[in-house]
Amino acid sequence: MRIGVFICHCGSNIAGTVDVAQVAANAAKMPDVAFAVDTMYACSEPGQQAIEEAVKQHKLTGVVVASCSPRMHEPTFRRAVERAGLNRYMIEMANIREQVSWIGKDKEANTRKATDLVHMAVEKLRLNRVLIPKQIPVTRKVLVVGGGVAGIQAALDCAEGGMEVVMVEREPSIGGKMSKLDKTFPTIDCSSCVLGPKMVDVAQNDHIDLFTYSEVESITGYVGNFEVTIRKKAPYVDWEKCTGCGICTEKCPNKKSFDRHNEGMGTTTSINIPFPQAIPKKATINAATCRKLVDGKCGVCAKVCPSGAINYEQEDELVTVKVGAVVAATGYDFMDWTVYREYGAGRYKDVITSLQYERLLSASGPTEGHIKRPSDGKEPKNIVFIQCVGSRDVSIGRPYCSGFCCMYTAKQAILTKDHIPDSQSYVFYMDIRSPGKAYDEFTRRAQEEYGAQYLRGRVSTIVPLGDKLLVRGADTLAGQQVEIEADLVVLAVGGEAAHGAPQLAEKLRISYDSYGFFMEGHVKLKPVETNTAGVFLAGACQGLKDIPASVAQGSAAAAKALGLLSKDTLESDPQTASVDLKRCVGCGKCWNVCPFGAIREMDMRGQIKAEVLEAVCQGCGLCNATCPQGAIQLSHFTDNQVLAEVEALCRC
Amino acid sequence: MAIQEQLKKMILDVLPDVDCVIGWGPGPDPLRGSPFFMRKPEDVESFMAGPMAVQNPALFLPEYKGKKVGVVVKGCDSRSVVQLISEDLIKREEVVIIGFPCDGVLDVAKVENALASHGEPGEITAVEFSGGEVKVTLAGNTHSLKFDDVKADKCGRCAVPNAVMSDFFAGIAREASGVKDDYEDLAALEKMSLEERFAFWENEMSRCLRCYACRNACPMCVCRDHCVASSRIPHWISQADSTRDKLMFQVIHAVHLAGRCTGCGECQRVCPVGIPVLLLKRTLSKGVTELFDYAAGMDTESKPPLLTFQVEEATIKERNW
Amino acid sequence: MSVLNESNNGKELRIVGFLCNWCSYGGADTAGVGRFTQPTDLRIVRLPCSGRVNPLFIVKALLNGADGVLVSGCHPRDCHYAEGNFYARRRLEVFKRLLPTLGIDPRRFEYTWVSASEGQRWQKVVSEFTQQVHALGPAKFVADAPEFDVLKVCAE
Repeated sequence: MRIGVFICHCGSNIAGTVDVAQVAANAAKMPDVAFAVDTMYACSEPGQQAIEEAVKQHKLTGVVVASCSPRMHEPTFRRAVERAGLNRYMIEMANIREQVSWIGKDKEANTRKATDLVHMAVEKLRLNRVLIPKQIPVTRKVLVVGGGVAGIQAALDCAEGGMEVVMVEREPSIGGKMSKLDKTFPTIDCSSCVLGPKMVDVAQNDHIDLFTYSEVESITGYVGNFEVTIRKKAPYVDWEKCTGCGICTEKCPNKKSFDRHNEGMGTTTSINIPFPQAIPKKATINAATCRKLVDGKCGVCAKVCPSGAINYEQEDELVTVKVGAVVAATGYDFMDWTVYREYGAGRYKDVITSLQYERLLSASGPTEGHIKRPSDGKEPKNIVFIQCVGSRDVSIGRPYCSGFCCMYTAKQAILTKDHIPDSQSYVFYMDIRSPGKAYDEFTRRAQEEYGAQYLRGRVSTIVPLGDKLLVRGADTLAGQQVEIEADLVVLAVGGEAAHGAPQLAEKLRISYDSYGFFMEGHVKLKPVETNTAGVFLAGACQGLKDIPASVAQGSAAAAKALGLLSKDTLESDPQTASVDLKRCVGCGKCWNVCPFGAIREMDMRGQIKAEVLEAVCQGCGLCNATCPQGAIQLSHFTDNQVLAEVEALCRC
Repeated sequence: MAIQEQLKKMILDVLPDVDCVIGWGPGPDPLRGSPFFMRKPEDVESFMAGPMAVQNPALFLPEYKGKKVGVVVKGCDSRSVVQLISEDLIKREEVVIIGFPCDGVLDVAKVENALASHGEPGEITAVEFSGGEVKVTLAGNTHSLKFDDVKADKCGRCAVPNAVMSDFFAGIAREASGVKDDYEDLAALEKMSLEERFAFWENEMSRCLRCYACRNACPMCVCRDHCVASSRIPHWISQADSTRDKLMFQVIHAVHLAGRCTGCGECQRVCPVGIPVLLLKRTLSKGVTELFDYAAGMDTESKPPLLTFQVEEATIKERNW
Repeated sequence: MSVLNESNNGKELRIVGFLCNWCSYGGADTAGVGRFTQPTDLRIVRLPCSGRVNPLFIVKALLNGADGVLVSGCHPRDCHYAEGNFYARRRLEVFKRLLPTLGIDPRRFEYTWVSASEGQRWQKVVSEFTQQVHALGPAKFVADAPEFDVLKVCAE
């Protein structure tokens, strides 16, 4: 092998604290090194040209560039050697900037260290092999998991871009949390008037295949070629036949089912359509309360259904689809606030959550938009809002700010005044967080125009007082205790990762943080990508955010998915594992540990062997470290290469 | 009926259904038994269980994968069988396991050492076991040794005198001694300073012949002909007479066995120069037991702990920088 | 052979780092970008994942005369490959317990988790570990086989 070594000055970034000429002179003595030189800026156009010329002039078969981190410029130098006619994997980098010149000023020590790093790179390069990427065909279809506003936006944008979309939503209707809201901040426009048309667009778009009341069962495959199994839960209604006429919901004798859409603020029938604008507008039977399904006595809905859609025998159905990219938009859920004993831990009927209050405000809610408190149906006059219930509270493991509660509480205070002009709202808050276009102005309006009384402090206890609730708290600005006789208490309950989010993350092989929110690829530069190629994030599943931000991220994720699938094929990374069939004993340890299912058992003339599915292998090398006889080796990071690096460092 | 006779009858019953039954038979001299492959009913005549059944017959099972074989096992051997099954290295349905209550096996080296002043091992003409005594006839004289003094170390800490899993079991299961494994064998090493230990291994490994008997006797070493000891890709160790590479090999063997070693001790027993190579594996087994409450070869359903993980590890306390 | 063998001024020791590309190698880069000064003893081998680290690499380094070995990967749950560091954690923890039996001070080997954003943490890890290894001094190593000189043997 003929190796060329290029030691970059990086101006004075490296040359300032490393004797680059000395490193080059040392490198010249290393095995197989045919040419070694120091260069001002290896990555600049003349720098790259010099490498290309040296490759040709000195008939080099491999190149070592000692400069900045390979995480920075490895692709640059790979392209350079490729232009010079070498395989792009016949280059190694020695990181003598981030890991040498920038972290110490001792020039002698730095020069020694840089020489060692170059030596390691040379020894590794001597064992590099030509690797050829494969072209893998892609399925130009996107899976959107979650039919909230972020998922809807992503789906519509993908469809607009000509991509086929499969949307999976676990509730019977799309719409997500936004469909439960009455109005939205900071404009007080009607939530369903904004969201409704988008939901209809999803239903009417030929490019979008909608699976509601469904969940992702499993995902296999890899970027460009995922295979998704979707579990369609049995609604006990043939949705092909159901017209959404609603006769069944009128006639169903069991009217005491928990109303999920109304957050339990009302009851509903065992067979129901979650809300009037539901998409799809189809009936679903609640198997836990349906008399026919529980004890076989009833069957009214089947009798009244004009289209004969009711099917009590229906079972879950598994559907498999192939997609090229995935957008996770699973949103969030509210934390279980009943851990707070000071707020009654759920014992007081008139202490409700903000989302329950939202349903009371909504004209399509259980009270048809009249605020009636749950205990006796009376109209409340004194309403206390408590913010940061389950947000910014280290004691219950929720140190984070949910981000949207300050704003929706202000909105609810405003709406309360609109609904009940002689009412008085009190808001206990910690800080008002209102960074956003017209947000701070909005919270001021709640106080100044709508007379909401903001009290900076926490509530210590709520105790029943006749038919009222006595709210005791602190006003830290006035420095005094306050007691308010409230007719209704609304808790601004903080958000948490959607239930089941970690399980979905594991199916998608993406990471999630300790709260269950999905991890973006880079906090600043890859906010919608994940570290798993082909999986993108939209909305609150990545971290709590309000509607505008969710919509923006939905569009961003769609743009990423469209970009990825704009070509017919993708280039696979050839740095994958490969099996030496002669040495493999078929013990199966590799396929047991492979996180990607990229290794399978195969039969070679009666002998069991391991086989790597090259396109699935992500190149982590776990199998390589697991195989006792080293029969499976990760290309470009083989045992011998690592051993060569180790020996370069310390053979004594 | 004596256990041995019961076992013979079971082997004869099993024999028609299997390729062969692996057990023990007469060895090269009266002190030693040998692995024994019984294919025909007349072979069974020479079968012997008891204190000279020292070898681990599980060693041979992976070679028979795809064929049905019977195997007679001591408690310790059965753990190897179970471990092989749990790793899918052999198939449960392809092996007929015959167990019996084991009273411990002989450590030939201990006998030879005890009688060293009385003659050469080759002069042993008869060995008899009775009532906790071993009577050895050496150069015409009969010497009586206490069995407890010459039994294998592992038998002293044995917790599984009966097969962990068996299709047939001869006799009545024996109570385990109840002695807890306190890793006494490691204690001597632990008394040394780190420098002394390092020197200990340097010295011990300098005697290694690189015969690889340790590996060849290990029932869990399934790589066999493809061992990294002799491969160039990957090239972990050289072929040179290097103490470093010899030690490296022992560490490789131990690391490959971490969480898989059942402690049968065959590696150490067969070492022709008496290097205590089991110590390395025992260290790792101790660590695995402490960390994962796991002992290899006790349950076919459990996964070797290093081939799986828990998202939250209850016992691993990482260093807080 | 490390240049330290030729020109070691006695101040530096041989410390080998095995770092995953996605988190810890990035963290080391972040430390560099932030100019977080560190001791110069450590040389880093870049690997895709801490799951790629065969504990035997560490033995190899230590038997070949490394004075310390540091493995660093993504924080658990954060593995780029979803599970690699979970396996690494178990393997490295078990392996660490073998070192005292071999007569190698277990403080010569540490493993940790550093993310790509934790430049300062990386500085702390490197500084503390280097200090720890220096406190132990140069490691003993097993001598290599004597050089087999064919000509000399023939002459004899």
